[in-house]
Amino acid sequence: MNTMFFIMTVASLILLTVVSPDSAFSIMISGANNAISLAFKLCAIYAIWLSVLDIMQKIGMSRALDRLFSPITKRLFKGESEKTREFITLNFSANLLGMGSAATPLGIKAMEGMQDGSEKATDNMILFMVINATSIQLLPATIIGLRASYGSASASDIILPSLLATLISTVCGVLLAKVFSLPSKGKKKEPVSLPEPLKGAKLK
Amino acid sequence: MSQFILPVFIIVVIIIGYVKRTGVYDSFVEGSRQSVKLILEIFPYICAVLIAVELFSLSGLNAYFSRFLAPLFNLLGIPTELCELVVIRPLSGNGSIAILENIYKTYGADSYIARCGSVIVGASETVFYIATVYFSTTKVKKLRYAIPVSLFSCYLGAIFACLLCRFI
Repeated sequence: MNTMFFIMTVASLILLTVVSPDSAFSIMISGANNAISLAFKLCAIYAIWLSVLDIMQKIGMSRALDRLFSPITKRLFKGESEKTREFITLNFSANLLGMGSAATPLGIKAMEGMQDGSEKATDNMILFMVINATSIQLLPATIIGLRASYGSASASDIILPSLLATLISTVCGVLLAKVFSLPSKGKKKEPVSLPEPLKGAKLK
Repeated sequence: MSQFILPVFIIVVIIIGYVKRTGVYDSFVEGSRQSVKLILEIFPYICAVLIAVELFSLSGLNAYFSRFLAPLFNLLGIPTELCELVVIRPLSGNGSIAILENIYKTYGADSYIARCGSVIVGASETVFYIATVYFSTTKVKKLRYAIPVSLFSCYLGAIFACLLCRFI
């Protein structure tokens, strides 16, 4: 991330200094401004979804959902606690329905549950991120709406190709993540500080 | 039909919550409190990424970079007109929507280019945004193979998107 950030900013700044040095600083400010307006928007959306989530947890709805999906999530995310799996399931459900902004707070909670205290991401965390990053949305509603507003005659004819493309990218992502996680399986550290449910899987 | 799902879902959750005496109001207070905490925690990450993205797209580097990569993308079946979109997609959600709108305006919403662009945007996510935000509250500093795998898979998806749009 540091290298990436360095290359992007420095290369852009050098180009700007040559082309139009006056605008360099104002562009940086406008980037920070975007972040502020995005943060306010997200804060409102998260407030609502975290509230609904709080009720869902209290009435046992998220556990019921977890039981429904556990055959898949248990196999993909071996050794995670039930609590973490609940968040994973809810994150996937929100993503499938195309509610990316509702999925984010759930994803963050799932990540917190999966960390093992070290500075390196665990294989499960990476797998989880990859699934999120390759999109598992069933219906690209925003894009269809956008396309219709630009006068498309059949705005929804992208559903099938989108579904196939996202399926390909997600399957490829999961497979690659599983392949890359193989070498680290052999040299697992002593699971000293791991929470109870993690131990079983790491010792295997 | 689908516009009813969301409000009905929230109504059902709130009613069950009330019937089970969980304190619906308390839940909303708690949810809002958590939201503020979460935003404070992820804001520095969003801010840093968005400064870099804004510089990248407004400095014109994005355009140069896309032009530089165009021959490679063409080889993989991605049309030149979509290179900029493919480059910006993993970096910025708003940025890619803006480019997509431009494509709709220039080529028409039903053209092959527009359909490909729609599928590319609809079938992928903002990889770098997810990478920063999802790990923001954990101690993790090293993402290991997470970003390369995500990017590779998304590009594979984009290549297939352009291929699929020719037939479907």
